Amino acid sequence: MPAESHIADQIITALAEYLKRDKKSITLDNRLRDDLGLDSIATIELLFKLEEVFDLQIPDEDLKGLVTVGHVVKYVQKRLAPPPSKKSPQPAARAKRPKK
Amino acid sequence: MKTRVVITGLGIVSPIGIGVKDFWKAAMEGRSGVTAVKSFDPFPLEGYRSRVAAQIENFDLSQHLDFPQGARVDRFAQFALVAAKEALADSGLRMDREEAHRIGVIVGAGMGGMVMGEREVTQLYQQLRPHRVHPNLIPAITLNSASGILAMAYGAKGPNLTISTACSSSAHALGQALNCIRSGQADTVITAGADASITPLVFAGFCSLRALSTKFNETPTKASRPFDRLRDGFVLGEGAGALILESLPHAKKRKARVYAEVAGYAATSEAYHMVIPREDGVEIAETIRLALKDAGVTPAQVDYINAHATSTPVGDNVEIKGIRQVFKSRVEKLAISATKSLIGHTLGAAGAIGGIATALSIETGQIHPTINYDEPDPECNAPGISRSAQERPVKIALINSFGFGSNNAAVVFRKPSP
Repeated sequence: MPAESHIADQIITALAEYLKRDKKSITLDNRLRDDLGLDSIATIELLFKLEEVFDLQIPDEDLKGLVTVGHVVKYVQKRLAPPPSKKSPQPAARAKRPKK
Repeated sequence: MKTRVVITGLGIVSPIGIGVKDFWKAAMEGRSGVTAVKSFDPFPLEGYRSRVAAQIENFDLSQHLDFPQGARVDRFAQFALVAAKEALADSGLRMDREEAHRIGVIVGAGMGGMVMGEREVTQLYQQLRPHRVHPNLIPAITLNSASGILAMAYGAKGPNLTISTACSSSAHALGQALNCIRSGQADTVITAGADASITPLVFAGFCSLRALSTKFNETPTKASRPFDRLRDGFVLGEGAGALILESLPHAKKRKARVYAEVAGYAATSEAYHMVIPREDGVEIAETIRLALKDAGVTPAQVDYINAHATSTPVGDNVEIKGIRQVFKSRVEKLAISATKSLIGHTLGAAGAIGGIATALSIETGQIHPTINYDEPDPECNAPGISRSAQERPVKIALINSFGFGSNNAAVVFRKPSP
């Protein structure tokens, strides 16, 4: 499992590439829409990129909670965490669980 | 009385030049934009019967326009953005001083966003991972992405339409822009045509249709040769042309330079065959007659025809047949040129680019050569076709444009009165 800081770095790097700006100017508390100017389609494109980078599928119901860069980092970290036991569902099914 | 409509700005992205100045210089010099197809990696080029095309190399939108949203549209729409930017600047139209709802956008496009479309289809079928289809696929492949992005880039809030009639798309766009202004829906229409589909699938499709030139793979600049006896099919090109059309009163009010008046237009269907024109040329003749009537001019007044002339054996014959039926003895005095000899067939952009060449001929009194017209074909011969540039005043000109789906367009331009 990648360390949280590594995940954050990958996400911020992807964001910086997408936005064509210095990654140092992006912080975890930046809001995707209000601070970074990502409209809904741009957010979807970013998540599409992250799905590839982290080999994830992000279900629609998870999008609502992803307001800040930190939320995205936390979400990806959680999704990449190993299942707690053998009874845990497979990744695709696990993705549909409520996150709260 | 019909509202008179004039052209006040031109812009172009073509295989022989980006920008009207470079395009026209290359056109008058008779430079060919046709080269060997670079690569369809991983598809082996040997698998293609035709291996020549008129391509635009090293195109990078960001070098022409600071408009991040432009990165989201496909290559054809990016071409349209650059052509329209030039046309607007050329027209001197100040968008901040105009009523945005009185400015329309009408774009002709034949194929749409095939670059992204083909890439995504290929990946999907190879990888079988539907969730990896790019979220921007649908807006990028949609034909009206070009007219949409032009409005967003330049702030035009009037009618926003896309005309898709294959190879004649932007000739119809010119005609529909004329009608839009005549009907009072807009004062100004940013009119364009664009296509960029020199892509593995589309190219293979045209090869399979046996529509493309195959005998000149080793000598690409010779491949597009309208009206020549050795012609053997068209050469696929890519590009965009943009023309600013506005009502004469609007143009006069802001003291705009006028290249030409768009005086008449006709649209017809041969109701005959998806890809083959009627061999007797009667429907082409009828289309031309209707356009001249709409312009209020007689065949004897026409000085120049910018021919559809794709360089296919049947198509060029039929066009000259149709022209002869309308113009009779006037054919002896008409200048005729084929812009596709220079830049191949740019599909949805062809009518607009033909319109640009025609507007420039009216303005300058110069007609670009029809290159590779080495040996006239008795089946489609006319004295006014020349492989050299011609100098002659052009007061009335006709633009022919015909498309798959059995549709024809003809547009008449007139020199503005002083």
